[in-house]
Amino acid sequence: MSSPTNDTCLTLQGLDVAFGAQRVLQGLDWSLPTGQVVGLLGRNGAGKTTLIEALLGLREPDAGTALLFGQPVAQLSDAARARIGYVPQRSDLFEWLTADQLLAYFRSFYPRWNTAKVDGLMSRWDIARDKPISKLSGGQQQRLSIVRALAHDPELLVLDEPVASLDPAGRRDFLSELVEQVVDRRTTIVFSTHILSDLERVALDVAFLTGGRIALHAPLDELLESSVRLGGVPADIRRFVDEHQLQAVSRAAGVPVIARGRDAASLPRATSTVSVDPVTLEDLFLALTA
Amino acid sequence: MTDLSLFTVVAGSPEPIYRQLVAQVRRCVAGGQLKAGDELPSVRDLAQSLAVNPMTVSKAFGLLEAEGLVTRRRGLAMVIAEQHRRAQPTADRIDLLRPTLERAAQEVRQLQLPATQAVTLFKSILNEQEGQ
Repeated sequence: MSSPTNDTCLTLQGLDVAFGAQRVLQGLDWSLPTGQVVGLLGRNGAGKTTLIEALLGLREPDAGTALLFGQPVAQLSDAARARIGYVPQRSDLFEWLTADQLLAYFRSFYPRWNTAKVDGLMSRWDIARDKPISKLSGGQQQRLSIVRALAHDPELLVLDEPVASLDPAGRRDFLSELVEQVVDRRTTIVFSTHILSDLERVALDVAFLTGGRIALHAPLDELLESSVRLGGVPADIRRFVDEHQLQAVSRAAGVPVIARGRDAASLPRATSTVSVDPVTLEDLFLALTA
Repeated sequence: MTDLSLFTVVAGSPEPIYRQLVAQVRRCVAGGQLKAGDELPSVRDLAQSLAVNPMTVSKAFGLLEAEGLVTRRRGLAMVIAEQHRRAQPTADRIDLLRPTLERAAQEVRQLQLPATQAVTLFKSILNEQEGQ
């Protein structure tokens, strides 16, 4: 239910990926308008990294199509590739190089390279430039990986657990940098993280990956305002849900626990038999990825 | 310009961030901390300082404008609207506080705490804040 925009950055259709007998993505459809900042949420093992790799063309799906900037990802042109920034979950930096050598190496691939931004980030984030990368701390390596991904002013930024090794101050620096990207360039961002408090600051939309599909993709504000937790006797809750035309988001023993109305205004108030309480993103995460 | 520290964001809240920002401005205007002509920070500065998406700040400012709390000066900052020259009457401000205290009262009942102890705690918290 995102606001329609004229151009689409990413379109996935009927994506299947299996590892042996284990089907990770199952007919997954997803599209992302240009300029959207979306949080990708799912439990461990839900297939977030697989989805990210498939959408970047780093993993060939068993079936389905993936279009980036309107081109099939398998045949993405170099020019289109240069518009992507990617921070992988596992550091893929060449550990024997120094940070400076690494950046010089990547710079040669990109027609656009923002030296001022790189220098600014390297000094603000206190990354040693002349030590072998293998000697940097996990946090510093992660920061360097982020600098590399931002250096060419990407139009699409894909972040796979980018801050797992950073302390709260480091995460705040990173979020500020993302805000800068959004302000200055309307960068499309796919942000996968388990740190919901970071996600809700920057992601306007959230997408929940479960059962090999995107179960729900909606604006976060709207989701918070239109969802409630219900409490009471099962029969009362069922009647209440029917009466107010709510849609169950999650159930326990068949009884709706969290439900959504069409919008915030249509949400009913509590009655003498049914309690109605607001929900947080964490509640929704647990409900929607169960 | 208005102090950026007037604004805070609570993560993990059921209240969307844009609503938190709207409520903060509403309270500061009601209390007279922000008065007619006072400038709000720019969307960019506030988004940067809170590390939140600038669209969220824009949405909050848009809502404040629709409510008549602020006006947009062409090419300049948002300012608190003309009619908000002084703090609202105490009764109105009490009304704004009521929902928060109703929630607290519900928690007091759930915790089965005696009302007098809850009130004592609230008083001591108020005093702590004033002492700072």
